[in-house]
Amino acid sequence: MSELIVDNIRKTFKLSRKQQKIEKTDIKKKVAVDGLSFQARRGEIYGLLGPNGAGKTTALRCISTLIKPDTGDIYVNGDSVLKDAFRVRKNIAFLTSELKLDDHFTPNYLYRYFSNLHGVNATEMEQRKAMLFQRFGIDKFQEVKIADLSTGMKQKISIAIALVHDPDYIIFDEPTNGLDVLTAKTVMDYLLEMRDQGKAIILSTHILNVVEKLCDRVGIIIDGKLKIEGTLAEVIASHEDKNLEAVFFDLMRESVGEDHV
Amino acid sequence: MYNVWIVFKKEVFRVFSDPRLVLTVFIVPGLSIFLIYTLMGNIIGSQMSEVEEHRSLLYVEHMPDSVLPYLDELMRYRLYDDTLTHDELEEKIREGSLDLVVLFDPAFDAKVASNDEPPAIQVMYNQGEQHSARAHSRFMGVLNVYHEAVVIDRLSDPNDYQVFSMTSDNFVDDRQIAAQGFAMLLPMLIVIFLFAGAMSIGPDAIAGEKERGTIATLLVTPIKRKDIALGKVSSLSVLALLSALSSFIGIILSLPSLLQMDDNLPDIAIYGAQEYLIILVLLMVTVLFIVALIAMLSAYAKTIKEASMLIMPFYFIAMIVGVMNSFGSEVSDNIFLHLIPIYGPINLLSGILMFEYTMVNFVVTVVSSLTYTAVLVVVLNYMFNSEKIMFQK
Repeated sequence: MSELIVDNIRKTFKLSRKQQKIEKTDIKKKVAVDGLSFQARRGEIYGLLGPNGAGKTTALRCISTLIKPDTGDIYVNGDSVLKDAFRVRKNIAFLTSELKLDDHFTPNYLYRYFSNLHGVNATEMEQRKAMLFQRFGIDKFQEVKIADLSTGMKQKISIAIALVHDPDYIIFDEPTNGLDVLTAKTVMDYLLEMRDQGKAIILSTHILNVVEKLCDRVGIIIDGKLKIEGTLAEVIASHEDKNLEAVFFDLMRESVGEDHV
Repeated sequence: MYNVWIVFKKEVFRVFSDPRLVLTVFIVPGLSIFLIYTLMGNIIGSQMSEVEEHRSLLYVEHMPDSVLPYLDELMRYRLYDDTLTHDELEEKIREGSLDLVVLFDPAFDAKVASNDEPPAIQVMYNQGEQHSARAHSRFMGVLNVYHEAVVIDRLSDPNDYQVFSMTSDNFVDDRQIAAQGFAMLLPMLIVIFLFAGAMSIGPDAIAGEKERGTIATLLVTPIKRKDIALGKVSSLSVLALLSALSSFIGIILSLPSLLQMDDNLPDIAIYGAQEYLIILVLLMVTVLFIVALIAMLSAYAKTIKEASMLIMPFYFIAMIVGVMNSFGSEVSDNIFLHLIPIYGPINLLSGILMFEYTMVNFVVTVVSSLTYTAVLVVVLNYMFNSEKIMFQK
């Protein structure tokens, strides 16, 4: 079963009093993901699209074994995240949108550190490092401290260290967020390259342009629920709209009402 | 264990690869302690010697001939050579421009000789002025000697003055004096240094990972949470020990100035190999406990700032325990007190430094500290596994 299957997961969080105040609600539990199911196959990029707070990050954290779904399960290459989290971790790369690399280290050190944690042998590590660093233009800066690098370079290093073990399943949360056009293109090109190598890639984003350029299939998630799923053409056709943006806003109106869109 | 080693190396490298961190964690604590304590010692020393060498400025009216030789012999002074009113004298004493005013009875010598009516002496001084207080103290000494001489002179048999004879033999052991000094000072300072060293690096190593989001990248690697916890605690322990060592060297080097010991280092050679070995083991288990505690609090916190705030009350408790030990009474040999974290090791350390310890108490302290550390590491492991603490708090 060489695919990633998200099977009807539900995840709720207890709201602290502070969070209740911020969200102006008396509800003690928030449903972040509600009955979410989808599959990401090898050799395709699956785009998880949704507004802020829709549950994308929670879903990706469940897939990457950082948090456990309350109900349902996720299978990565046949391994359950609930029962075989350790095996799942060997097969996945996870890039969080909130990552800020430690300023004290160099790209070279961080790459070696994560390679060692993933159990990559020395020869393979050097070969792969040379390839990734060259691909992302990190090689010239590999001994420069993170503190002295640009935002774009830091993001490319984050991607490189997430991929040290050459995993088959790649989960990236907002990988092009805040990047300039050139860096974003480098990242997107590499995602396409990995797809062509047969990797399964799940991409979370709220940038419609990225989805249109990269994703083979798209799932739009709003309020923790998957509203629609399919190829880009299927999604657009389902709402008789001209583009993804129009579909997105249609779904938002249906879910949260006209006033909130 | 290989994964523990990887995490250990990374934390140690993080500090040693950054000159600023090396400076703030290892150099500045020792250097600042050395400079501050040496400066304090030198200031106190120079103040003391200045007061000691000061020639007191006295205003004396009707100086009796009988008192003058005693004054000349026992006191360094000079006389104010102008005549002032009572109000002027009071003003000058208050402002510190005169150290002492002594107004003798004009017929002092005659009255002393007749022994009918005691002559009056009026003394004015200012206890708030160091020179005035010192002049007053010295002048009282002069009067005491004079008083004794007059009394002996009045007695038909001078031997009547002697009420008892006394011999006093002081069998002080320099080793014991040094041990008391070390026991009073070092346990308190050591626990403070260990805590301060661990606090300077602990929050960043764990709460910093949460704040930066790198904890997610670490936790999706296929290594056990226990290995991460052990790697963090062991590396931070080594770093905290080194930081404490820096402070320790600073305090030892500044002791001669601080204690006005004429540039001689206190003799730490009074302790044998056994004491040093026991102290080393004790310091290691104590630092493990402190680091595990700080690591646990840092894991609970969301940011470095929050971690520092959470740690601070424990730091104060450790300081209070240290101060209580320094200024408290004797070293306790109650076995149950050695079970109390922080207090037990400090108490035992005092005991070791004063050669008053038992191996049973040493074993109890070490085993209990290691047990508490193990419990904290288990809790830390649980916290790394807790999605609520790692990602939702």
